[in-house]
Amino acid sequence: MKPARFAYAAPDSIEGVLDALDRFGDEAKVLSGGQSLVPMMNFRLARPEVIVDIGRVGGLDGMSVVNGSLTVGARVIHARLEAPAAAMPDGRTEPLGGVLGSLLPEVARFVGHLPIRARGTFGGSIAHADPAAEWCILARTLDAEMVALRRGGERVITAADFFETVFTTSLEPEELLAAVRLPILGDDWRAGFCEFSRRAGDFAVVAAMTAVRLDRATGAISEARIGVGGVAGVPVRLPDAEATLVGEVPGAELHAAAAEVAAGEVDPAGDLHGSAAYRRDLVRAMVARALAQGAGAPG
Amino acid sequence: MSWVGRSIRRVEDPTLLRGVGMFVGDIGGAAAVRFVRSPVASGLIGAVRGPAYTIEDLDADGVGNIEAVLHRPDYVRLAQPLLARERVRYVGEPVAVVVGDTAAEAEDLAEQVELDIEPGPAAVGIDGALAPGAPLVHPDESDSNVMVAGEMATPGLAEALDRAHAVVDLETVSGRQAALPLEARGSHAVTERFGGRTTLHASIQAPHMVRTVICDLLGMPEADLRVVAPDVGGAFGQKLPLAREDAIVVWLSRRLGRPVAWIEDRSENLMASWHSREQRYRLRGGFDAGAHLEALQADVVANVGAWPCYPITWGVEPLMALAELPGPYTPEHYGVRSRGVASHTCPMSPYRGVSRPAITLALERLMDIAAARLGIDPVEIRRRNLQSEFPHTSPTGLRHDEGTYREAMEMAVRHVDLGAFRSRQQTARAAGGSQPGIGICTFSERTGYGTPAFAARAMGVTPGYENVELSMDPSGYVTARIGASPHGQGLETALSQIVADEVGTDPGRVRVVASDTDRTPYGWGSFASRAMVLAGGATYLAAQQLATQLGSVAAEVLEAAADDIFLADGRATVAGTSVGVEIAELARIAHHHTQRLPDGAAPGLSAQAGYDPAGTFSNACHVAEVEVDPDTGGVSVRRFVVVEDAGRLINPMIADGQIRGGVAQGIANALLEEVVYDEDGNILTTSLMDYLPPTVAEIPDIEIMHLETLSDATVTGAKGLGEGGTIGAPAAVLNAVNDALAHLGVELNEMPATPERVREAVRTATGTPAG
Repeated sequence: MKPARFAYAAPDSIEGVLDALDRFGDEAKVLSGGQSLVPMMNFRLARPEVIVDIGRVGGLDGMSVVNGSLTVGARVIHARLEAPAAAMPDGRTEPLGGVLGSLLPEVARFVGHLPIRARGTFGGSIAHADPAAEWCILARTLDAEMVALRRGGERVITAADFFETVFTTSLEPEELLAAVRLPILGDDWRAGFCEFSRRAGDFAVVAAMTAVRLDRATGAISEARIGVGGVAGVPVRLPDAEATLVGEVPGAELHAAAAEVAAGEVDPAGDLHGSAAYRRDLVRAMVARALAQGAGAPG
Repeated sequence: MSWVGRSIRRVEDPTLLRGVGMFVGDIGGAAAVRFVRSPVASGLIGAVRGPAYTIEDLDADGVGNIEAVLHRPDYVRLAQPLLARERVRYVGEPVAVVVGDTAAEAEDLAEQVELDIEPGPAAVGIDGALAPGAPLVHPDESDSNVMVAGEMATPGLAEALDRAHAVVDLETVSGRQAALPLEARGSHAVTERFGGRTTLHASIQAPHMVRTVICDLLGMPEADLRVVAPDVGGAFGQKLPLAREDAIVVWLSRRLGRPVAWIEDRSENLMASWHSREQRYRLRGGFDAGAHLEALQADVVANVGAWPCYPITWGVEPLMALAELPGPYTPEHYGVRSRGVASHTCPMSPYRGVSRPAITLALERLMDIAAARLGIDPVEIRRRNLQSEFPHTSPTGLRHDEGTYREAMEMAVRHVDLGAFRSRQQTARAAGGSQPGIGICTFSERTGYGTPAFAARAMGVTPGYENVELSMDPSGYVTARIGASPHGQGLETALSQIVADEVGTDPGRVRVVASDTDRTPYGWGSFASRAMVLAGGATYLAAQQLATQLGSVAAEVLEAAADDIFLADGRATVAGTSVGVEIAELARIAHHHTQRLPDGAAPGLSAQAGYDPAGTFSNACHVAEVEVDPDTGGVSVRRFVVVEDAGRLINPMIADGQIRGGVAQGIANALLEEVVYDEDGNILTTSLMDYLPPTVAEIPDIEIMHLETLSDATVTGAKGLGEGGTIGAPAAVLNAVNDALAHLGVELNEMPATPERVREAVRTATGTPAG
């Protein structure tokens, strides 16, 4: 359980990182918190020729609210999302309030264990693209935008286009995931997150995030998002289940009906931790519970 | 004031807690050994090609085969090479070995070794191995995979079942578990350039036994091998048998003339160290109208893997089931067939509890199911069936010394307030959602047995006794050299308490030397809940001798009768007077002024004692309270209560620690941990992502109470308790899960009760279609 031989680069600037990625291309792998990459290297499941450590680069660990989005720097550790604070447009750093401010801590507590949350990073988790990872589910459900840098360029990739399959994203070898933009949900949104894992801190067997927008006048749902992890190679949205909700007033029966549709809409593969049929059962339970959780007070 | 019975702090802990212990991996200075292991479950070995110094043939060097023997007609005898020869029989079996300067380099070299193996069909689970035409694991030696088959029945069993008021049949299944010590296995060997003596440091439980077998295999005198177990980070039985790897490490150090070390990694440990527990029980219980279990019939199959373990053999699990199945109950009639079946899977060794977690699961499910069938309470059926007259002789002839089976249960049930729980449960059932359940488990634990019990197994090697040598040095400190090999149990502390009481000194003036064949008398090590009884008993006997010697020196010095001398608080005192002398001064005299010793007394202060008892039974009642989510199948353990009777407690805090650790492993057995193979014999659980030990979040506080029925079968009155936690917890949890879902008609008799299995049972019981 020792890694295969590799070269190690630790540039102290973004430019240095982008140069290294440009030079080594797909022989290189970016090291952020190392909570997934290092074990995979020890198992020799990952055998990068060159490790590009971004730990010495400044400017990647900020959180800020800009243009209705929360920008989370790639190197923000999970633990900071347990009590998120961000630079506001006026420059002051404040605790993040509102629906997103309540949702992030709710999700963060499911991410690994404390030591993992103290080292692992938000961007690292997104770029690693485990289909059951909490932040990947959140990014997909909320239609996050991924900001990718390359030497002399930047592009923004939507979550729908970003996650391709297990551990695979549309990031090019020369690109560095620098930040993720999450939409600030207005007070008319209700969000919920529910996860089933074998033990505290494990990857989810199945996890579901729901976000519904309520019409202030009628109380009916005007927009609905349901994202599920653990049922495919990427976190998935469930449009049929979402459609079940739109136009209806939240309630136990509606939630159960949407959960039923959700269970039928996924097409999971089975593995050691759950057969396809069992995962469908879990989708039903998790979606209904996430909706119920989001039905209460704001956030 | 007595030291025995007090929860003094463990002398072992400051070293361990400050991280300054010395484990095998801390020794360093050695080349790294890496084993090349079979990637397939079954196959014929063709060529092995690798870089220079790839070693795949030890025969040329005259290295012998391991022969783990039971002298029984139903036992298949095998000779096991240290590296697989001709055939591989499980994924992870060592085929070749390479040596590198660093662990990473050794792993690089191992990757370069090409194994030509022609894969063959594999026998995997119990059914797969027993099926007609199943692939044979040892086709040259046996025409079936049944490697040991014990059978017995008391006369009149069939008639007793025929006339029973109620007959209950059930099948229980225990999944395969790995002991998962925090420190995996490892060994480090250095051979002296002059003289050629080798020192092996290894993470093991029985250094003397390991020395004997390695010397047998390599054809060397035992005097030329020193075996040391330094700090050992958990063992639980996995480090009791000879590790093939350790023998090869010794051979390599002698052959290469350089220090070499093998530090097992976690994947190797999960894949190729010893497994345990995979067993199936089919029980038939015949109850009379008063709900007394009159007759018990069982068919037991243990999947014992590809090879036996030395010296215990793969008879240990099935034959323990055969001998001990009636447990704490009193059936007059008993019949059993118990088989060990080989498969193309990792071999088995005894793991804390051995067969008893599975035995207890079967019996305790039987009791709960029978109680429901007969319309009585689970407590009441046990009340009517537990042993209450002692000594009790079981249908297999085991003598149970006095225990408190009923008292322990009544105490546990009072403590949890069963009535209040039942009313909470009614409320929860009406409300829906997560459901609370409670499960009771009562059991007996056979402990502290010496040579007679092992002799009854007809092993090729008969372990049993323990030896202790005590000496007091001129400063008045006592050194105890013991044959047992403690590795975290706190034995050093407990023995120092025994010595302190007998010799009248302070435990802080006692040092225990263990786990080093150069410095300790021959002994069998620490396993089978034996060390407190065996090493404790020998220590007690030797300490009495030492006290007698001190008394006679004191009598001479104080000019009093030896019978009037009392040793306490570091002084020898003449009874009824304040006349006395420091023990330390007596120690000086005994060594440095021997002219003052009584006529005929040997110089110095030393004593030696062996102890070899027949064994004793401790008992306990475990109660688990769980919450089950019927929608997900998730189970969480909310409360866990233990009432334990292990006779005299030398150090109650240490006893509690033993119970806590065992209960955690038992809860893991019940809910989480399972080694999984696919149908081709590929192991799927080779990392801690897939093999799931509990974390602190999955284990509740464990509430422990004690009864103290002194054993008349041991000199200290103590009984063993090291395995009890793992024995009782699985059945308590499974009974609780069943209780939580009883109103849905769920019956779940397989562990681990994974969420998927629980959910499946709910679906089956409620007629909910899958998905």
